[in-house]
Amino acid sequence: MGASGSGKSTLLGLLAGLDNPSSGNVRWQGTAISYLPENELAQLRGRTIGFVFQSYQLIPTLTALENVLLPYELNSEAGSRREGLARARQLVASVGLSERLDHYPVQLSGGEQQRVALARAFMLRPPIVLADEPTGNLDSTNGQHVLDLLLELNRAEGTTLVLVTHDPALAAHASRRIILRDGEIVAEERTAVASEV
Amino acid sequence: MGSISYSTAGRIATRELRSSPGKFAFVLLSVAIGVAALTGVRGFSASFRSMLLLRARGIMAADIAARMTDAPTPGEQASLDKIQGLDATPVTEMLSMASSTTSLDPLLVALKAVDPTKYPFYGDVVLEPAIPLREALTDSTVAVGDDLLLRLHVKVGDWIKLGNGTFRIATVVTDEPDRLTGSFAAGPRILISQHALAGTGLLAPGTRATRRLLFKLQPTASGQPASDSHVADLRTQLEAILPQAQLSDYREANPQLTRQLDGATGLLSLMSLVALVLGAVGVAMAMRAHLQQRLDSIAIMKSLGAGSSQIIRIYLLQTLLIGFCGAVLGLVLGLGVQLTLPLFLAKLLHLTPGFRIDAHAALLGVGAGLLTTLLFTLPPLLDIRNVRPILILRRAVENEESPLFTRAARHLRGSGLQLAATALILIGLAALAATVSDSRQVGGFFAAGLLLALLVLLGAAALTLLLLKVFLNTTRRQLPSVLRHGLANLYRPGNPSAALLAALGLGVMQIALISMVQRSIVGEMQETTAAKLPNLFLIDISTDEVAGVRALLATQSTVQGTPEIAPVISARIAAVNDTPYQQLHLKHMPRRGVLSAQLTWPPTPDAPPPGDKVVSGKWWSAQQGADAAHPIVAIERQEADRLNVHVGDRVTFMPLDTPIVATVAVLYEADSQHAFSRAQFVLPEAVLHGLPVTWYGGLHCDPSATGTLRRVLYQHYPTITVIDVAATLETVRQVLLQISYVIQFLAGFSTFAGIVILASAIAGTRYRRIREVVVLKTLGATRPRIASIFSIEFAVLGLIAAVIGLVFANCLASLLLKRVFHFDYHLNIGWNLAALCSTGVLTVAAGWLASHRVLGQKPLEVLREE
Repeated sequence: MGASGSGKSTLLGLLAGLDNPSSGNVRWQGTAISYLPENELAQLRGRTIGFVFQSYQLIPTLTALENVLLPYELNSEAGSRREGLARARQLVASVGLSERLDHYPVQLSGGEQQRVALARAFMLRPPIVLADEPTGNLDSTNGQHVLDLLLELNRAEGTTLVLVTHDPALAAHASRRIILRDGEIVAEERTAVASEV
Repeated sequence: MGSISYSTAGRIATRELRSSPGKFAFVLLSVAIGVAALTGVRGFSASFRSMLLLRARGIMAADIAARMTDAPTPGEQASLDKIQGLDATPVTEMLSMASSTTSLDPLLVALKAVDPTKYPFYGDVVLEPAIPLREALTDSTVAVGDDLLLRLHVKVGDWIKLGNGTFRIATVVTDEPDRLTGSFAAGPRILISQHALAGTGLLAPGTRATRRLLFKLQPTASGQPASDSHVADLRTQLEAILPQAQLSDYREANPQLTRQLDGATGLLSLMSLVALVLGAVGVAMAMRAHLQQRLDSIAIMKSLGAGSSQIIRIYLLQTLLIGFCGAVLGLVLGLGVQLTLPLFLAKLLHLTPGFRIDAHAALLGVGAGLLTTLLFTLPPLLDIRNVRPILILRRAVENEESPLFTRAARHLRGSGLQLAATALILIGLAALAATVSDSRQVGGFFAAGLLLALLVLLGAAALTLLLLKVFLNTTRRQLPSVLRHGLANLYRPGNPSAALLAALGLGVMQIALISMVQRSIVGEMQETTAAKLPNLFLIDISTDEVAGVRALLATQSTVQGTPEIAPVISARIAAVNDTPYQQLHLKHMPRRGVLSAQLTWPPTPDAPPPGDKVVSGKWWSAQQGADAAHPIVAIERQEADRLNVHVGDRVTFMPLDTPIVATVAVLYEADSQHAFSRAQFVLPEAVLHGLPVTWYGGLHCDPSATGTLRRVLYQHYPTITVIDVAATLETVRQVLLQISYVIQFLAGFSTFAGIVILASAIAGTRYRRIREVVVLKTLGATRPRIASIFSIEFAVLGLIAAVIGLVFANCLASLLLKRVFHFDYHLNIGWNLAALCSTGVLTVAAGWLASHRVLGQKPLEVLREE
């Protein structure tokens, strides 16, 4: 958590392997990732980390179902196509979009697009889900709905959710809060909450 | 309302251009291609014409040349001799047979007989080794082209047989000044003296030969050639002395050649115009995409008080700047085209025009580039009127993703000016086409035809994309994900796929059409004529040789069927129905044409000659034919058309000084594949008895044995020329190939323009593509996988465009070949498949050229921009 320009997205990028540190290394479950070859890193990232972006970042030429299925198709170690489809349908249903399976992103509202993005993030049951201001582009009603779904999925799938936000109300849902200012960690708080993240 | 000055508009325009140099680089190139083609063609033509004028005297080798069918009569010669200060020299050109003295294998050669003491009046004959022409051309020596040395396996110093004479090869002739204005050479050249030719027996009365008389006026006191006015005076005198001659003076630089040059320039300019139009379409597509990306800026300006016309001013200036820079680039590239064209035409022209920049061609190219760019960019510019300021607050989902009906209704509401813009495009295009082709009619047809072609291709492309979408939606779950993703990308928002396919398809169609027509025509020429029809023609058989030739051919087992030997008498047409020839109303026939008529008589007195079919009137009986006091004539239908004669009319022929007035009894059609087809007028033998006759033969020989038969004929009758149809067709085929290479070279510009438009469109969607790459990488996609997805997208674009282009090319080729050229059309699946694959490969390459740094984009840089 931190104000605009505090380094939240930078930290997220480093954690996600989307950026290289000037010094030091980032490790995922013991594996150092900062200097892995690009293709190897991409494959590892696909299996390890799920993403939820502020501006959804869906592929505009793929349907809702295909967007959710995408991480499964990109993962060379995934199972059969039938299994993938079943999982994708189940996730889409869990975010309440069973009626929108074959809709393109442009045919969906902002809230619906973010829900598709949520489903996509959990497709491969990644150990970690990174969410960068997931409700930033949504109105309060949609934003709350998306947040509830995110926390719900997180609980159901047993992932570690790393949430980046400037909103204290959102941060209150976290059991561990890291506060950034000017690129440095200035505080760390832990609280026990009913919705454990 | 606010107002934006031109300087402010210009500043905004140039800054926007500078902010995306890569995107606009392709747009510049798409304008440059068409301008390069147009300025290259016209620059070359202007250089060639200017060279013709500069070297005109040299090209003609004289001040005035008179082309005649017969030598001047004694009276005409006496009149010529009376002109003071006039020098004249004859040049005779004809086909004949030659062989080495050792092998006696005959070869068809192009003879040119000159007087080496006078020829040429201007320019030089280039000989290797270089010896004076009068030493090279004596009564026993000749100069030959180097291809004759190769074909007859001889060298300088060896002897060759020509007619009844044998000659030593003194030297090799590499160039004569008047080669362009002479006759077409169907075989290797031999330069011989007039005196030596007379001794060969080849030039008998009635022999088919082209005679030119070259004239030179005495130079002025300062040694300069005669002035234009003196040449004009001489021409007037010669027209009176030689009424049957076709005169041309050096100022016209060979009217036939300049006419052909003009025609070729017009055709090639129109082809360049296609590339120019495609380039303009590319600019329009790029500008549309660019404006889509600038919606926010436009909305902001409108909300600050700028009117649509002020904003249009900015983008109009941008368009003009792009058009101008593209045109200037095209000018530079056009110089390269101008230097390349002579390489294609080297074998045909024998002359390389000096390199010079023609201001008129340059201005035309730049003007055409600017005009087409401006015209085609009008519709997207006019759409600026529809941008609403509210967009800065809310990006409404109201653009291309709206239902079709809503889009159509909105479009119709604002379509008044758009329709006007479209009409302006059509008019501007027609005007441009009329200017480059020097014909308003051609210009109009071209513009309408091109726009129609683009619309049809656009419709076909839209339909194909729709069908592909249906296929995709039906089978997407079954398709491999890479393929599905690649195909789905065709429908990426902002992809002008249908227009892109139409533009690329037009380029493919043009080059494929030309290739197919060329292959069919040139390929069919390689096939021998059908069995039973003559494949060897014998020229210039004299009357006392006829019986011997018939007897000789009868002994040859390789001759199939009965050879045709047809008598031909040369005559003039003096009048039709008492109207003298000078007052005749002729259709599509120069008056000179009536002066050379070929008469014959049928082998059977009461039936038409073989290959001729009666279409009007009734053939005469043997009795009617025997009545020499009442001559009758049958005329070939096309000839009758040209002369405007019908059955019942009277035609006066003058084979010698005594007229023959014959009544037209029959009109017939000739199949042009028999010896008798040489003559267009058939009269009974009784009417033509006693006149000087030359005989022409046609026979069918086993194709594998034509060489042997030619040797036998040459051995016994060396003065008879034998034309092997297959060999002659091969020579013509080579000429056609040369010409078709030039046409294909220019058609390639259209294809290249299409590819550049594709690259430009892909560059235009660069940002969307980068975002997609970044998201995919973030989700775990490797570079090879992303590359595969994009490659499939590019390849499918190319394949669809190729399919559309090839389908239409095959349809048009079939129409052209069957209806216009009367050739057969065959669908060549292998060739079409190869064209399909080549286009696919090209589009993938172009696509990657336009996307080369997309794969390397760091994910975080893009994600942070959100």
